[in-house]
Amino acid sequence: MSDGTLDLFRDAPPGDDGEPRRDGGPRASAQRREPEARSLPVPHVWTVREVNRAVRLQLEQTLPQLWVGGEVTNFRRQRSGHCYFTLKDDTAQLRCVMFRREAVRLPVDPEEGMTLRVFGGLTLYEARGAFQLVVSKVEAESEGGMWKLAFDRLRSLLDAEGLTDPGRKRALPAFPNRVGIVSSPTSAALRDIIAVVGRRAPWVRLLVRSTRVQGQGAGEEIAAAISTLASRDVDVVIVARGGGSIEDLWGFNEEPVARAVAASPVPVVSGVGHETDVTICDLVADLRAATPSAAAEAVAPDRKAVTRVLEGLGQRLGKGLAAQARSRRWRLDQVGDTLFRRGRRRLVASRTRLDTAGARMSGTVRSRIRHESARLAEAAAAMEALSPLSTLSRGYAVPLDDEGRLLRGVRDFTPGLDFRLRVVDGNVPCGVTGPAADAAAPVTDSAAPEETGSIGHGS
Amino acid sequence: MEAEQGLDATLKRIEAIVAALDSDSLGLDEALALFEEGVGHLRRAQEFLAMAELRVEELIGRGGEEVREFREPGQGDRDAGDDS
Repeated sequence: MSDGTLDLFRDAPPGDDGEPRRDGGPRASAQRREPEARSLPVPHVWTVREVNRAVRLQLEQTLPQLWVGGEVTNFRRQRSGHCYFTLKDDTAQLRCVMFRREAVRLPVDPEEGMTLRVFGGLTLYEARGAFQLVVSKVEAESEGGMWKLAFDRLRSLLDAEGLTDPGRKRALPAFPNRVGIVSSPTSAALRDIIAVVGRRAPWVRLLVRSTRVQGQGAGEEIAAAISTLASRDVDVVIVARGGGSIEDLWGFNEEPVARAVAASPVPVVSGVGHETDVTICDLVADLRAATPSAAAEAVAPDRKAVTRVLEGLGQRLGKGLAAQARSRRWRLDQVGDTLFRRGRRRLVASRTRLDTAGARMSGTVRSRIRHESARLAEAAAAMEALSPLSTLSRGYAVPLDDEGRLLRGVRDFTPGLDFRLRVVDGNVPCGVTGPAADAAAPVTDSAAPEETGSIGHGS
Repeated sequence: MEAEQGLDATLKRIEAIVAALDSDSLGLDEALALFEEGVGHLRRAQEFLAMAELRVEELIGRGGEEVREFREPGQGDRDAGDDS
């Protein structure tokens, strides 16, 4: 068998080691038992096992591993994990087996009638004498292949359940305290996230749950890591991995990951692969970031932005206090002369307290207080304008005794009394020189000074 | 800032104070007290932002029941001086 082929009718069948038996095989022993052979030689009888083994070896030794294209039919995945199917074309069929070790790498079972190309070696299953191709790789002829098929199939399932619905996306917390990260502990993705958060928001605490991010079982590990982190006291979870082939990223396209993301009680940000890679994890996540760094930026508020928020709040505090002061001014405007005085005392007191508070504050807030104090002064000025002084400017005069009490009627003007007349621009010293005055009918005209002096009615 | 409370809670408290100051049912004393409380929160928040240092921890153990300071695997070796 110089060319490697075996003449099944002349040569001895191979032994268990695949080599032809050197002892001559069954024929040799038959000859030994019957040394004087007759004219008709006893035919050599092979056992079935010998035949199948010979054929198997013949197939395995003479045909290299090869790609075979055809339509798939009867694809079955056994409980053992082994897969059996038939490839066919118009006129022929080829039985195929894909053992568990290879079959677990299939992202999805092929659909009936799909055009596949499979890679493997031909052999004979001796126990059944079945000719078959032992397949190690399966690719779909369609664009994107088996991966796309698997992706599309899971995506339609998740779409149908509403898990990819934009209305389901939760808003990220504006100021997270604690951020969970699912990533490989040695990945550039994790280093990028730590760097970005450290730069933008170093007050945020990061909690990492390490996981494998590729290879068999990665999907389950990623899913478990998401659930573990989400059950801790984190405000948001980032799922991150750098770029890679679709096979590398496959873990993020597996159903357990989608389920874990959907079940997370806190929002999940997916930063998987590069900008062009879209995974199932991206679709179910509350936010899809193009890269791990972008995910970190989306989660961590920039220090400057937070400072702006604080400044804005400081201004609103100042405005709130100003509004309080204004509403008091309005109320003061409603009350009369007595309240006017009391109000002014209160305003002065308020101003003192504002100054005291202001002394303890910094920056914008303090200038705000100065501003408010000025407003209070304005309010006081406005009240002055409404005081009886404005009435005096219209030509009225108010008689006051030397203690500043108002002299209201005839009886207040005793003979010889020195008093003063308060006119708009000052006091005029006066005296009662004549005899006691006669009382006339009381004046009820609203133009009387003591009446118009009532703030709020005087306009 | 109150580390337990967190930035978010502090900002929410200041928001609540601002809302209260915008209402007109407050007495002057109350308004001033709220104002001072708000300003105190603001100042502490600013200090907190200025002084914070990033903390990275990791969950370890099967169920992630243990928390420890995160170190990238292999980092210890490099720290030991093998930086050739």
